[in-house]
This record gives sequence, C-alpha cells and structure tokens, in this order.
Amino acid sequence: MSRTDALAFRPASGRPTSLGLLREAISEISSRRRLIRYLVQGEMKKRGSDTVLGNIWWILDPVLQMLVYLVLVTILGRGRFPDYPLFIFAAILPWKWFSAVISDASTTVVRQERLIKQIAFPKIVLPVATTSAGVVGFVAGMVPLFALLLLHPDRFNPILLVIWLPLIAIVQYVFTLGAAILVSAANVFFRDLGNALGHGLRLWWFLSPGLYSLAWMDELSIVKENPIIRTLAGFNPFAVLFESYRSVIYGSPLGETGPIPPDPLPLVVLLLGSIVFVALAIVFFKRLEPNFAKVL
Amino acid sequence: MSIQPPPVAAEAPYAIDVADLGVQYDLRFNRKTTVRQSIANLVTRKPPPRFWALRHVDLRLVRGESLAVIGPNGAGKSTLLQVLAGIMRPTEGRVDVRGKISGLLGLGAAFDAELSGIENILLGGAFLGVEDARIRELLPSIVDFADLGQFIDAPIKTYSSGMRARLGFSIATSVDPDILLLDEVLATGDASFREKSKARVIELVRSAKAVVLVTHDMAWVKEYCNRAILLEKGRLVSEGSPADVVEMHLEHAAAAAAAREAAKLAGGLDPRVEDDRRRERRERRRRRRMEMVED
Repeated sequence: MSRTDALAFRPASGRPTSLGLLREAISEISSRRRLIRYLVQGEMKKRGSDTVLGNIWWILDPVLQMLVYLVLVTILGRGRFPDYPLFIFAAILPWKWFSAVISDASTTVVRQERLIKQIAFPKIVLPVATTSAGVVGFVAGMVPLFALLLLHPDRFNPILLVIWLPLIAIVQYVFTLGAAILVSAANVFFRDLGNALGHGLRLWWFLSPGLYSLAWMDELSIVKENPIIRTLAGFNPFAVLFESYRSVIYGSPLGETGPIPPDPLPLVVLLLGSIVFVALAIVFFKRLEPNFAKVL
Repeated sequence: MSIQPPPVAAEAPYAIDVADLGVQYDLRFNRKTTVRQSIANLVTRKPPPRFWALRHVDLRLVRGESLAVIGPNGAGKSTLLQVLAGIMRPTEGRVDVRGKISGLLGLGAAFDAELSGIENILLGGAFLGVEDARIRELLPSIVDFADLGQFIDAPIKTYSSGMRARLGFSIATSVDPDILLLDEVLATGDASFREKSKARVIELVRSAKAVVLVTHDMAWVKEYCNRAILLEKGRLVSEGSPADVVEMHLEHAAAAAAAREAAKLAGGLDPRVEDDRRRERRERRRRRRMEMVED
C-alpha cells in the first residue's frame, strides 16, 4: 500500500529541501485523485442543497451581480461602453470563480480540524479540491453567458469562444490554485486573514479592469499625469485575464468591434508566472503542514 | 528508564520502534493567534511558551502484541497515538513504524456529515489511502459489521455518537491494518457492539497484528492486552504486565484524588485543582466547537 512507505520512518529533525517537498506534494496530489474527486462531489452536493432554488443560484448569482453593477454604473453615469451588460458580465464570471474559491480556501483546512487530528492524509488535497470545485460554478455561468450572447448576435463568435475560453480558464485555474494553497495554509496560523480577505478581494475587483477597460483608463486625467499607474495596472493578473476574456466574449476594449483573439503574450507570461507561484505556494504549504495538527 | 524487551522480541519483527520521543507544543501559535499578538510577541521578544506533551519516551512493539496506553487526562496518550499515526511529527527522537497503520483516533467516522454512511465509507477509504477497488470490495463487510440497518443510507449527521463510533470502528478495523491504533473507542456503542468489537480486536491481535489502545477501561486492559504502559505528564512512568501497570495507575490516581481533596479543604489553591478546572473549561469549549462544526 502506498501509505506504508511514506510512514515507515519518521525522524524528528532534518529539514527537507524545497524541491523534495514539491515532488512529494505532486505525488500526493496524483495518488489521491480519487479523494480530490470525492471532496469535489461532496462540495457540489452541499452547495445550494439548503436553499429553495438550489443549484439555480449558480446561474442566478452572476446575473444578479451584473444587474447590481449595471444600476450602480447607470447612476454614476459612467457607462460609456456599448452593450455594457455583456461587457461587465465577461469579467464578473471569472471573478466570481476566483473570489468564491479564495474565500472557500481560507476555511478549507481549518474546517477539517477534526479529521486532521484523527488521520494522516496529505492536506494539500484540500485546497486543490476547493479550486477544482470552483470550476463547476464557472461552467454553470456559461448558461447565462450564452443567453446574453444570443441577445447580442453581432458579438457572438462561437469558434473564438470554444478555442479561447478554455485556454484563458486554464491560466486562471493555475493562478487561482496558487492563491488558494497560500491562503488555506496561512489562515491556519492567522485567523484574522479570513476577516481581511473579503475587503481585500473587493478592493482587488475595483482595481482590476472589470467595470472598465485598461484603454479607458488612458483617458483619466490622473492616469495621464501619472503613467506609472497604467503600467502597474497592467501587471495585475486580473487585468490580463479580464482583458483576454473580454476580447473573446465582447470585443475590443472600447467596444467598437466584435470579438477578436486576445493578445497571447501577456497570457503566456501570466501562465509561466503562475506556475512558479503555485510551486512557491506548495513549498510554503508543505513547510507549515507538519504543524497543522498542533495548531488547530 | 530502560525498556524490557517483550518475551517475543528476540525473533519477531518489530512493528513500532520509538526512541527518545519528544513532542513539543509551541503555544505561541494556538487557535486564537492573531496578527496583533504575533507582532506584539515579536516586539516584546518574549520567549515563546513551550510545552512538552511527551518526552523521553522509548517504546518497542512487535507483531502480535496488544499494548494498552493508560494514564490520567492530559498525560500525552492521544499525542502518542497521533505521532504513531503520522499525524504529528516528533520534535525530537525518532519513530519507526513498519507496516500499514489504521487508526481511529477520537470518535466516529464523520468524514463528511452531510454524506450518507456508504458515501462516508468510500470517502473514509480515500482519506485513509486505501485503493478504491479494495474499499469497494470491503464495503459489504464494513456495512455488515457496523450493523446500522437502513441508517447506512442516511446522512451521518442524523447518527447518534454511538452509531458513528460503530461505523468508524468498522472502517478502521476492516482495512486490513498491520498496526491498529484505537483511542477510547471501546467505551462506546451498546453492550452487544462492545462484545463484537472486543472479538474483532482479539482476532486482529491473533493474526499477528499489533494493536495500540488508549482506554480507561481497566478491565479490558487486564483481560486482553499483553502489555501496558503508564504515561503521566508526558513521561513514561511504568511499563510491564497490564495487571501491575493498572495497579500503579490506580494508586497514583487515588493519591492525586486525595491530594486534590486535601487542597480543596485548604482553599482550592492547589495548582492541580486549577489545572483540572482549566482542563474542564477547555474540554467544554472544545465540545461546543465540535457541536458547532456538526451543526
């Protein structure tokens, strides 16, 4: 049995190398795929099971959020983009995926306190399962997205969507995985993180070009005076993701033309950066893991 | 203290070899640590409060042995089991475990309270690292042994604690372990299930598996274990035949109770009384938390 080898000898001291930890985590994840699948299924079963509308909420949630922003922007009189509902929906969908996963991830290890104290299992499967469970919500969001696209037939480019949406989503998955692993381990030691997280996420959303586009920022006087702001905004992973999603779902940044393929270079850079980020997050997690049972 | 090798040790392969084991808790990080406190600790450079849950423990167990771990509350019994199970890493010394371990620490098999008994068996197998084909093969016998009737298809949250313990015991003992760790499980369940579980533990010991058992059931220790150790305040105080060790434990417990009684008369200033009260409060808090989790 696989567990025998891992448990055979446990010395007290000896600091494992980062590379060793990384290799260990990867073998843990691949050997416990079944456990990850069960955890994801359990998560699915629970979500929405105690509400009247049940799983309908997966579809309703992003739509309602879009309406809220629509009202907000209309009141502020800032809606300068044509077909604005589609414009913001292209960002709301991926953002809901990310923010839901991160807030779930902050409790994914802490929630399993009793199991962690009772049986030895690789804890890394917990944030991996949380991140994967988030994919289902994202996929469910495709339903209202396509409904919305049918209302804007001139912006509906199925071939572009089928090719590019999965690719952009993979980049986002990798980045989200790194963030989820980081947050899940850190929250064991600092419970305040959960409190701060909601506010941090909201700030991040407004700093990301979700309700606006990077090109629109260029016209702001504050950006004209301080071009550094624009440069910094471009480094935001969600600037890259939102602009890419919007490019294939909606069209050019200011909405003059229909969907076009996104600029691949920022996506490739983000993917490579995210892979390094995941590796670092795994090492961070694995270094803290032996103390989970003591601290929880 | 030196450990007498058990009579069979010369030939039989050992299952567990523990040398100079120590487990230290760093109380700087507990569940209530906040960033504010951590920064405060950094600034004041207070040495972090540390606490040895176990220290200088030597232990060797061969196949076919059934070892009882006894001692008062807070002696480090559960910590020892957690170290053997690989849940906790020793701070010093070493632990060498040979064979597949299955353990039931704490009560119950509520891997996910929302899922049914059957689903929890599959999930539990996945958590324990048992291959899926194997756990599906074992499924009928686990269900049969737990004997929960129609409840096996109901969510675990509807189970009584005795039912959870039955399912947990059934899973832990069915996965064909080389070493079985049991923590306080024999005290649960009704009389007939206790008989059944005793029979199963004996069967496992007979088939040359090693069993480590934490229990307060002294009758069980004397009757079915072939060795016992007494832990007090993280130290291994005594090791030997169950009858002798149990007797020593009962003497110590009686002495401690007498001291507490005397202290109570003297005004409750004895630190042990305080210790006990603190422990009670902690226990109550823990139980409340668990209830909250189960809700």
